[in-house]
Amino acid sequence: MNPRRTATGGRVNRQRPVRFTFDGTAYTGHAGDTLASALLANGVVLAGRSFKYHRPRGLLSAGLDEPNALVTVMRGKVREPNVPATMIEIHDGLTVESQNRFPSLAFDIGAVNQLAGKLISAGFYYKTFMGPAIGPLKGTRFWMLCEHVIRRAAGLGRAGEAPDTSRYERMNAFCDVLVVGSGPAGLMAASAAAEHGANVILAEADAHAGGSANWSGETIDGMLAADWAADMAAGLRERPNVRLLRRTAVWGCYDGNTLVAVERVSDHKAKAGPGEPRHRHWVIRARSVVLATGAFERPLVFPGNDRPSVMLASAAERYANEFGVLPAETFIVFTNNDSAYLSTISLKKAGANIAAIVDVRQDVGEAMRILASEAGAELLAGHAVVATEGGKALRGVKVQRFNMTSGTVSGEARSLSADGLLMSGGWSPAIHLASQAGAKAEWDNGLQAFLPPAPARNSRWLGAGAFTGNFSTGGALAEGHAAGLAACGAEPGETSLPTAETTLGSPEPAPVFEIKAPGKAFVDFQHDVTVDDVRLAHREGFVSVEHLKRYTTLGMATDQGKTSNVAGLAIMAEARGLPIPDVGTTRFRPPFSPVSLGAFAAERYGDLRPERLTPMHDWHVEHGATMQPAGLWFRPQIYGLAGETIEQAYVREAAATREAAGIVDVSTLGKIAVQGPDAAEFLDRVYTNMFSFLPVGKARYGLMLREDGLAFDDGTTWRLGDNDFLMTTTTANAGKVMQHLEYFLDVIWPELKVSLVSVTDQWAGAAIGGPSARDILAACVRKTGVDNKALPFMGIVHGTIADVPVMICRLSFSGEMAFEVYSPADYGTHVWEALMEAGRPFGLVPYGMEALGAMRIEKGHVTGAEIDGRTTARDLHLDWMLSKKKPFIGSAMMDREGLIASGRIQLVGLLSLDGRPLGGGAHIVEAVDQENPHGSIGHITAACYSPALGKYIALALVEGGKARHGSRAFISDPLRNRYGPVEIVSHHFFDPEGSRMHG
Amino acid sequence: MASRNTVERLSPLEPVYQPGLHGQSEHGAGVTLCEAKQGSILQLTAWPGEEKRMIAAIRSVARLAVPDGAGGGIVKNGKAAFGIAPGKFTVTAEEEGLAEAFAASLKPAIGTVTDLSHGRTIIRISGEKAEWVLAKLFAIDFSLPAFPIGAGRSTVHHDIFAQIQRTDNDSFDIHVFRSFARAFWKLLCHSSEEVGYEVQ
Amino acid sequence: MLITCPYCGPRDLSEFTYQGDGNRTRPAPASQDLDAWNAYVYDRLNPAGDHNEIWQHSGGCRSHLRVVRNTLTHEISSVGFVRGDAHARKPGARK
Repeated sequence: MNPRRTATGGRVNRQRPVRFTFDGTAYTGHAGDTLASALLANGVVLAGRSFKYHRPRGLLSAGLDEPNALVTVMRGKVREPNVPATMIEIHDGLTVESQNRFPSLAFDIGAVNQLAGKLISAGFYYKTFMGPAIGPLKGTRFWMLCEHVIRRAAGLGRAGEAPDTSRYERMNAFCDVLVVGSGPAGLMAASAAAEHGANVILAEADAHAGGSANWSGETIDGMLAADWAADMAAGLRERPNVRLLRRTAVWGCYDGNTLVAVERVSDHKAKAGPGEPRHRHWVIRARSVVLATGAFERPLVFPGNDRPSVMLASAAERYANEFGVLPAETFIVFTNNDSAYLSTISLKKAGANIAAIVDVRQDVGEAMRILASEAGAELLAGHAVVATEGGKALRGVKVQRFNMTSGTVSGEARSLSADGLLMSGGWSPAIHLASQAGAKAEWDNGLQAFLPPAPARNSRWLGAGAFTGNFSTGGALAEGHAAGLAACGAEPGETSLPTAETTLGSPEPAPVFEIKAPGKAFVDFQHDVTVDDVRLAHREGFVSVEHLKRYTTLGMATDQGKTSNVAGLAIMAEARGLPIPDVGTTRFRPPFSPVSLGAFAAERYGDLRPERLTPMHDWHVEHGATMQPAGLWFRPQIYGLAGETIEQAYVREAAATREAAGIVDVSTLGKIAVQGPDAAEFLDRVYTNMFSFLPVGKARYGLMLREDGLAFDDGTTWRLGDNDFLMTTTTANAGKVMQHLEYFLDVIWPELKVSLVSVTDQWAGAAIGGPSARDILAACVRKTGVDNKALPFMGIVHGTIADVPVMICRLSFSGEMAFEVYSPADYGTHVWEALMEAGRPFGLVPYGMEALGAMRIEKGHVTGAEIDGRTTARDLHLDWMLSKKKPFIGSAMMDREGLIASGRIQLVGLLSLDGRPLGGGAHIVEAVDQENPHGSIGHITAACYSPALGKYIALALVEGGKARHGSRAFISDPLRNRYGPVEIVSHHFFDPEGSRMHG
Repeated sequence: MASRNTVERLSPLEPVYQPGLHGQSEHGAGVTLCEAKQGSILQLTAWPGEEKRMIAAIRSVARLAVPDGAGGGIVKNGKAAFGIAPGKFTVTAEEEGLAEAFAASLKPAIGTVTDLSHGRTIIRISGEKAEWVLAKLFAIDFSLPAFPIGAGRSTVHHDIFAQIQRTDNDSFDIHVFRSFARAFWKLLCHSSEEVGYEVQ
Repeated sequence: MLITCPYCGPRDLSEFTYQGDGNRTRPAPASQDLDAWNAYVYDRLNPAGDHNEIWQHSGGCRSHLRVVRNTLTHEISSVGFVRGDAHARKPGARK
């Protein structure tokens, strides 16, 4: 039995012990415990060290608002830092480490920072490390010197280096009504909407539905509230139209009622099931949303309010009622409102001693006085706690008389002993999601809290329960029911609601946030922001809430100021002499609670991209190809032989092609079926040259410009029938060209009867070229001739290869006599193998992208490296393709002054004069200056060793271009430290007359 | 075209297609996955205003009565048709040659036919957990009221375009580009591990 | 953000591609009026409020849609096909 476990009570399973390890020590808890409740049950109150001052800290809360007890969960070598102990369900084998301490939690060297407190107050970093270096211990350079020391000393948990092996997943969901929060209000809302036939998703951040019902100790419909909630949840689960998501924190609210949540699917299990994700990222598109997110209790700000065992009153109540754990033996309660009295009674019932209730209010209502005496507590009305005593655990507190009107303490300080101090500074509704949705919070002076506004006319969210500032359970039940009906458009009807006991006391706290007394009083526990820091920000002029936040880091930590925002504002408001609403509040942004990065990545694991494979992919791999990504595609780079370098391989492949024949997979070229009665007219408009005159059975090379007159893409288009064209695009631009064409067809020329369908994947393409290419085809093609008469340059024939129907077009990228053979994709490998077989006697070799690149450079053909979005048709010597007979896309803009200016960069060839390789991207200069590289006149777009010329060559875009032919220049490539002379020549390096391909 | 039948078609899934039970299969498979091999897959495009005549053409050539309306579709006798976009339909049949049949009878004044028999791969997912698995990959509502039997949807998973037809209560045919089929298949298997899957 | 495609129904933003300001008018194809072309190619309205935009449902039916979106609130007040839309029939369209 755990030392702090109550004899009975709580929702944990006392029959099931669970063993876990905290900082190397083995502990036992029960199934149903959180790490927080299990540690408290074992009497462990020291849970962490604070962010900046390394002060010992214990649990402040029992839920996701926890700022102090952040721990690192170890999963093998994978570290998950900064998880609140309150949100970890223990399981056998759970291993957890505390954070931000060295060498141990109990003895932490970093605690010396407390002595330097004055030096590292708000603005420390800005003042010390920003700006010019004046003296040795100032400025940005000093920061670089100190950074790694400071990063170690100040901060949260340490991220691990081991790769996260867990699985994460994304899930899309649609519903009529999303209910966020499953307390009494949320359960009622979900049930009302579900009964009305709506599809409902009910999301609960905790492990069990019920919210406050799980720990309030109240009765609903004559049952313990927790049992009522369990029954309600069970009933909802049985409904086919309800999805109850437990352990699911809704953290974001985006446009169009798209809400996002993260479900902790298997964190509570020793081992995830096969295929089971650790976290699931839910994207929920809801017609309407009911926010039943409850409220957070606020701490009070007073010296020593951060000592371990100083806790929110509701948290202690929750530990007692939900987990059967008393965080201390004897409590003192410090409050500005009535709700703490109810918590006190719960603790008394669970077996705790209540030494005193310290209430800042002089006038405490009769009902509360009775509760105090029932609890056996001395009531110190008109008093305040001014200090806490003890070291790493609380021993007692000091109290003084407190005057609410003047906000001052007076009189003799009295010491009271206790090992637990509970505080309650009122409640703040959890309005974060509404704020994300654009709702402007409204200050309620009675409740001393920011409330959500009444939903706007077109708002698709509704609120219920404590979220709206209605803190009574009866109110929550009624509001939840009404919101559930309203959310699905149902009229409120005659329904008998469950009965809840009347909540005693007033929900309105005294407007007291801070007790001014000497000592460090914390506003933001997680970021160690004290009341002095807030005042310093005020004195130094950082008075707007946004400045306050950034200057002091108030509210910026992983808890996003859930417990600190309002107190921070109240203190700033007082300093400025303004009412709180005039100071305003920051707008909440996603995420409401921390989200694992894995959940964002979800199924996009590994290299994050789907592999796009050609029909012959497996053949290439089996035949020794090195595959290379090209966009999403994978293409053979080389088919290397044993011991060959990449250069040796492509030189061999290219040389063999020019000597005999080579074959390359061109299936990746974009292919678009352009069909319909207006197809030819459409092509005339989108290409710079004419296509309407192209006869059936012929292909033509085409160039497209953008609207601004710059070159866009090129490729051949084949006329297969009067109304039937097959357009090919570059591999890289296939998608862009399709969108470009669709845009013009849909938006600009809707009167044209043209259809566009991507047929890239329908066809396997093999380009076979070289002096023997025609003989190879003649040996294997049936049902058509392939001689010059049957198949002239740019001609198309239909035949068969190895019983498969093929379409063959005679065109050339390599500059050789070449043919593109297209077959239906599922037959692609069959046809490819037949071509290889037919080519064997001729010395046919398969070649990859490197050889293809080398041969196209030799021929001076352009690709995306030259059509780079900055070049015109003229720059690339393609002006012969610009028809003067018709307007086309880009024709009006292509002759603008700047686009026809002399001195523009133009395509040229380069020969390396020092016999060394040239590199793509290198600059061209007229004179080399290695010390101060400058004077670029252009750059290399592609380079290779030319087997045909026996030289290193390159294509380049150079100012003046053609005018420099025959002149000498230099490459200047400081990054690769490559400098050297080149000769500028024509880009047609090889067979400029094209005699080889025309045959 | 009789010659086609003598050469076997090579599925892009070939090396990764592993029949049997996989993943969390303690309680049997939550979904069954298979490639739904169709001899003919084609796209029909009707010119604006000619949609009804296209639907009539589908009825006469493919003997399928496609309901009018966005995404309307039908599955019958090994054939299927569904709307994928305004005036656009996907039609499939077990036998080859359907594109030629349409090409022969469809008037140019109505629209066009494009053969995609080799360009698309159809992956079938069926079983109790089919909606759950698909919801991991696509941001569309797979529930029966929102996505009735026979209906089609055009959607996308990151870079992978998909046309999906609901062929039964818990059965969907997913048409993907052939070049992406293997990557999508692997992803679908991965996503199905949680519920257990059987490859047929 | 969701856009309700008139063909596909409400779909996630990730299925759509923004295709620019919908207020532009393309000059007649043969027009040599460089100012008009310049305005068409480069000038964009940038209103704070309702904006007439063109989106393509690229991850769905691939239709181009005319979307009126409030740039301050992201609220979408209307969506329709561009094709068949009177607004799309500009003087520049060749008949």
